[in-house]
Amino acid sequence: MKHPARIVALAVALVVVVLGVVLALNVGNDPEQDAKQSHLVGKAAPAFDLPNLSGGRVTLADVAGKATIVNFWNSWCIPCEQEAPALQQFYAAHKDDSDFAMIGIVRDDATGDVRTYVKDNDVGWTIALDPQNQAALDFATRGQPETYAISPGGTVAAAKYGPMSSGELETFLAAARASE
Amino acid sequence: MIRRWGPWIALGVVVVIALAVVLWPHGDQSSAARAQDLETQLKCPECQGLSVADSQAPTSRAIRSDIKRRIAAGQSDEQIRQAYIDKYGDSILLAPEDSGVSLLVWILPVVVLALGATGIVFALRRNRDEPHLRATDADERLVEREHRVEDTVDG
Repeated sequence: MKHPARIVALAVALVVVVLGVVLALNVGNDPEQDAKQSHLVGKAAPAFDLPNLSGGRVTLADVAGKATIVNFWNSWCIPCEQEAPALQQFYAAHKDDSDFAMIGIVRDDATGDVRTYVKDNDVGWTIALDPQNQAALDFATRGQPETYAISPGGTVAAAKYGPMSSGELETFLAAARASE
Repeated sequence: MIRRWGPWIALGVVVVIALAVVLWPHGDQSSAARAQDLETQLKCPECQGLSVADSQAPTSRAIRSDIKRRIAAGQSDEQIRQAYIDKYGDSILLAPEDSGVSLLVWILPVVVLALGATGIVFALRRNRDEPHLRATDADERLVEREHRVEDTVDG
C-alpha cells in the first residue's frame, strides 16, 4: 500500500458520490407529504361493520354498487366544522342519485354529542360510530376530517386528509364513479 | 509484534463486541415486551413525533390493541411492522428501516467513521515513519571540535 492517503481520499470521494446519488434519487420525496398520503388508493376499501345512531348497523356491503363518500369526522373538530357547509351542499346536490351514498364515520366522540350535532345541523347522510377506532385504523386515518371515495366495485378511488371543498367532493365522486 | 498489532486487535475486539450486541437475537421475549417494543417503533399517525407507546390519541390506542391482537394471532414482529408499513407507508416508523436504500442511513456514518479512523492511523504512522536525521561523520567531527573548544575555554 504505497499511497494509503490516496486510497482513503478515494474511499471518502466514493462515499460522497454514493451520498450524492442517494440524495439525487430522493429529491422530491417529501416525507411530510408522504405521511399525509393514503396508501389505500387503488386498493380494496377496508370492510367495516359499525353501529349507527339508531341501534342499527352500517356496513361496507350496504353501499356495494354505489359510488360512496366516506368522511371521518367528529363534532369537536374545528376543521370538520369548517368542512361541514361543503358536505351539506354536496350531499344536497346528490342525495337523490341512485348510485350515490355518503357515510360519516365518527372518530373519538361521545355518542350524545354526535346525536346533538346531527340533529342541530340537520345531517342527512348516514352516520356510523367507531367506538374502538377499528375503522379509523383500517382506513389508516391520520386524524379528522379525512375523506375517501369508494367506487361501486369497492376500490378506494381517492383520499384526502383535511377539510374538503365542495369542488373536491365533486372530483372525488367523479373519481369513484369512473373507477372499477 | 504486540506493539504493532495490539491497537488493531483491540479495535477488532471492540467492533466484534459492538456487532454482537446489536445483532444478537434477543431471545424469547414475552408478548407484553414484544408489544411494548413494537409500540415504541411505530409513530402515532395523528401526533407530531410521538410513538404509539407514548401517545393517548385514539388511533394510538387502536394500534396498541391491534398489535396485541396480532401477537396473540401468532404474527411475527416483522409481519406486524410490515402490515403497518403497507397501511401507512414508511413514515409510520420512527427510525428508518434497516434494509434497502434506508440501510445507507445506518451504514454510511459507520463507513465515514471507519474511513476517518483509518486516515488518522495512516497519518500517525506516516508521521512516525518519517526518516530520522542521522549525524554524518562531518557532523560528529564538528560537535567534537565544539566540545574541545568549550573544554579549552572552561580550562
